[in-house]
Amino acid sequence: MTDVTMTINGQTRSASVPPETTLLQLLRENFNLTGAKLGCDVGDCGACTVIVDGQAVNSCLMLAGQADGRQVLTIEGLASREHLHPIQKAFENSGALQCGFCGPGVLLSAKALLDDNLDPSTQEIRDALSGNLCRCTGYTKMIEAVQEAARLLREESRTQLTHARPEVATP
Amino acid sequence: MKAFGYVSAKDVAHAVALLGEHGAKAKILAGGTDLLVELKHAVHNPEIIVDISRLSELKTIAVADDGLHIGALATHGDIMNSSIIRDMFPAMVDAAHSIGAAQTRNLGTLGGNLVTCVPSMDSGPALIALEALVTVASSAGRRQMPLGELFVSPRKTSLKPGDLLVDIVIAKQNLSKPAAFEKFGLRKGQALALVNVGAAFFIDKGNFLCPRIALGAVAPTVIRAPKAEAYLEGRKISAEAMAEAGRIAATEAKPISDFRASADYRRDLVAVLVKRALASAQARAAAKQKELAA
Repeated sequence: MTDVTMTINGQTRSASVPPETTLLQLLRENFNLTGAKLGCDVGDCGACTVIVDGQAVNSCLMLAGQADGRQVLTIEGLASREHLHPIQKAFENSGALQCGFCGPGVLLSAKALLDDNLDPSTQEIRDALSGNLCRCTGYTKMIEAVQEAARLLREESRTQLTHARPEVATP
Repeated sequence: MKAFGYVSAKDVAHAVALLGEHGAKAKILAGGTDLLVELKHAVHNPEIIVDISRLSELKTIAVADDGLHIGALATHGDIMNSSIIRDMFPAMVDAAHSIGAAQTRNLGTLGGNLVTCVPSMDSGPALIALEALVTVASSAGRRQMPLGELFVSPRKTSLKPGDLLVDIVIAKQNLSKPAAFEKFGLRKGQALALVNVGAAFFIDKGNFLCPRIALGAVAPTVIRAPKAEAYLEGRKISAEAMAEAGRIAATEAKPISDFRASADYRRDLVAVLVKRALASAQARAAAKQKELAA
């Protein structure tokens, strides 16, 4: 057995699993985090995408042991109890998901992109989502949603900057 | 996946000791993007997996006295984001960017791409065009060889059980050599190359000097195109010469027909991509010169 301890969505979680367990299996079967989906199981479809140490990865292609000691973000960690994350809000507003099976992966690929780049070009968005297959939407609305999310996040960061400056008088 | 033992190596010496101890019963886990698929399909049934993915000493990208060293565990994403590689070896950035999708590039490593040794590997052509060397560690010590000697046949390298590829070196004299990478796949994202090409040459008074052309996905391994190179050597640089080199390289390719493309189509692609890669290397050289003059 392999003992693993990692931070998942801000919480420390531990498990003892057979070495051949993938990160995806660990998340779904040991921790009941079923947002990441088992699609192709060979790294083509992106339905299992999670963010490990800031980078989008296919959790079906990572052994649980490789994730030991790392920071993992799954779709369950995106929204708070009170608010959807701006990316989720933008996807909702744009009607960018239909059946939703690819959604957790697409949203996390978008998050990894936007964490790095708050003003991505259409080409950069296409590039970031190229590892996530969607059989419903045709992608156009997803790309619009990521652009919308980028706008929301830029606004949010501007507001935070304004609030952080005490010399700015409130009207 | 079938059950296997798992050890996470603490350093290169530990990894080499483990590989020496377990020999052919061990498989090395670097990024895992190929290995896990092969384990799931039972292509390999190792008794033990030696996980080297945490060996930060093998992730270094740095310039030393003898040239540019790229650690075998540098991911394709690391290569794309490395300011050193962007500056000195932009063809490798293009090659890395053309691999898989973000998720695969974040896990997949340069060393893994090379030792998996599929004919369509995107890391191969630009490195072969710059005559890269590879360093291999084993319990017998370290040895260096030309990258081309690593490739034997599809999915087969010259590495023996117990060997560990540790770094890839571009010799100092080749670092200033303008190079380019071109690929054609059926889609823009997540597509295997129908053909990929690396090209590099020095410019000597407007003539090609030491031209190198590497072709991928059109032979059992990445190959050079020696006749096309000989045609270009010492010749005045022109669009016509580039096109002719492409036509000659097409006769040197030995592609197969499969469900992705016919052999004839791949040969035609070789002619086009060689021409493009040569032109792109020349454009890169011109841009560099302009930058230096400014």
